Amino acid sequence: MAGPIEQQIHRDPALFYWILLPITVVMILTGILRHYLSTLLQTTPKKQALLKMREQRHLMRARNMIINHAQISKAAFNKRKEWFADKVKEGTLLESGPDGKAKGKPNPLSDPAMMDGMMGMMKGQMVMMVPQSLIMGWINAFFSGYVIMKLPFPLTPQFKQMLQAGVGTRDLDVRWVSSLSWYFLTLFGLQPVYNFILGSNNAASQVAQQMQMQQQGNPMAGAEDMEKIFAAEVENLEVVEHWYVLDGVEDRLLAKFASSI
Amino acid sequence: MAPIFLTPPTDPHTALSISAQANTFLSAQKTLWSSLPYPLSLFLNTESQEKWTSYENLFLALLRTGDHDSAYTCLEALTTRFGKTNDHILALQGLYQEATAKNKEELEEVMKAYDEVLQEDRTIFSVRKRRAALLRSVGKPEEAIADLTVLLDASPTDGEAWAELSDLYLEVGALEQAVYCLEEVLLVTPHAWNMHARLGEVLYMSAIKMEGGEQTKTLSESMRRFCRSIELCDGYLRGYYGLRLTTSKLLEMLRDGKKGQVATSDPVTGDLAPPSVATVKKLNQLATAKLGEIVRRGTAGEKGWDGYSEAELKAAKALIDSDTQKIER
Amino acid sequence: MAEERELQIHPIMQESMQHNARIVSNIRALTASLFGVAAGTLGLESFPGFLFYLFGTLIISLLIYAFRAEGKPNMYFYKPLADLWMGDLFGGLMSFVLTWTLFYGLVKA
Repeated sequence: MAGPIEQQIHRDPALFYWILLPITVVMILTGILRHYLSTLLQTTPKKQALLKMREQRHLMRARNMIINHAQISKAAFNKRKEWFADKVKEGTLLESGPDGKAKGKPNPLSDPAMMDGMMGMMKGQMVMMVPQSLIMGWINAFFSGYVIMKLPFPLTPQFKQMLQAGVGTRDLDVRWVSSLSWYFLTLFGLQPVYNFILGSNNAASQVAQQMQMQQQGNPMAGAEDMEKIFAAEVENLEVVEHWYVLDGVEDRLLAKFASSI
Repeated sequence: MAPIFLTPPTDPHTALSISAQANTFLSAQKTLWSSLPYPLSLFLNTESQEKWTSYENLFLALLRTGDHDSAYTCLEALTTRFGKTNDHILALQGLYQEATAKNKEELEEVMKAYDEVLQEDRTIFSVRKRRAALLRSVGKPEEAIADLTVLLDASPTDGEAWAELSDLYLEVGALEQAVYCLEEVLLVTPHAWNMHARLGEVLYMSAIKMEGGEQTKTLSESMRRFCRSIELCDGYLRGYYGLRLTTSKLLEMLRDGKKGQVATSDPVTGDLAPPSVATVKKLNQLATAKLGEIVRRGTAGEKGWDGYSEAELKAAKALIDSDTQKIER
Repeated sequence: MAEERELQIHPIMQESMQHNARIVSNIRALTASLFGVAAGTLGLESFPGFLFYLFGTLIISLLIYAFRAEGKPNMYFYKPLADLWMGDLFGGLMSFVLTWTLFYGLVKA
């Protein structure tokens, strides 16, 4: 054995027409199917009750005040800050009103709004997982037991187990892989193709899926005590170091146009 | 879809051009295949995001130009697609009835219909906004203000409602409240240069009524608001116009040298010091120069300078010319 | 703090940023697949193949810089080093590997 010998295996060109192309076509079609399925399975957002909406929007207004405080003068900001602090102390902004203060955290399993959130998350995951497992099973059933092509780049031997699934030999170079590896390649590589066909909002691309799962974690957080959240916002408002965007705007403007006057 | 259908018709000129194209648009929608029974019509689905926006804008334009029949066709199409109980559709239906009402009694009926809807479900904001608009159009601004206040208590992050409320306050002459409302709009959309310009205009209006130190303070704040709007949007004619007006007025006042003005910033209330005479002069020059450039290039119709409307350009020209007249005298 | 203030004074439009990023991503994916076809047809192996990809991506970035961003990347991208030059490398790599493997197999046999 004089060093690594180039292993040559002659393959039937018909392999491509009967294996690679069908797998590719199936992958693309399932991607499109996944996209349309998740669009159809989306539930229309439910309307919120007036008091709950009011509570949320006042909180949003407080957050806007913190982020955009530079747009209004200090006096205006202080006026609003004090109004908000008074209202929170009275408790009139809460959904349950000033009397229901000691309600505590609602039980996650019985709160209907969060059930919807969890269902949505589960549906999304199902749409993702089920086609993948189905296709993997299909490939293992029909296309196993032989190598199909040679990868142009080498991999570590650990991949041999996964990519040469049905082949019995032990010395075969890792670069010779079975059809399962083509499945993995297309799984990752077809995302830009989905972007082209379905527009960028498609539900078939993996990266977007992961981000969606993170964003849907938020309904769970809404169960916490609104009183504490409001009190935290009041504190945040107190801490704000106010600066005014109009301070020095005329100098900035003149500097910007200094060359053209 | 022609891009002209994608924005609502804000001025009469656009409304006219949209409604002129109405017939071609509507007939283009009625293709042979769309009247097929349900399963087959799915294949030739022409739905897109812009389709229904175009329908709505067309509807608004047709109502403005008085073509009620075609407007009704649009409304029907929208109702078929979205259902009768959709919030937005309810508001559009109310709008149609208001536009086609012939006398006061019919308007009263429309008002009653709104009240019924609101009694059933208080969260239908679109209908509440229509109610406020109706009250305003029949000449009851105080009631409209009350309506909008109720809406804003429930939804304080609605910039559109705050802007309308500030307009109503201006109508009844409560300038301070109008300023408060515009500030609220800025909290929601901090980079909206048209809102900065609007706030500058309202401050200018209130400064005219004041005297002495207060007047200088408000006037300089108004000037700074216009500066900010220009900083956010190059070539903003409204901003330059306001800047020119406020700086001219400020120059007059600072030249007269009223005693008893605050000369430095007040750290407690956060009031800024009035700008120096030199700065105001430079700003005045800048505004005049820019206005002149815009008028020149806008009327010549140069590429990249054609976004200004005729009325705007005429007003700017009048402003510049009034100054030159003073000098000539 | 200073950066926050700078952003408030001269705000960045989120939509425009996303649009630009999407365009760069699309260009990269498309050109990466084409480079994959070229690499496969040429019969490039492991290292030369990846080098080919990196070299090609660099040329593409230069072209974007010159023709689309008009030589002023700061106007179009908030952090041009991250967005324009190293844009969507991973997605592009995946497309490249896909078409590379396909054409390598087609040509080799």
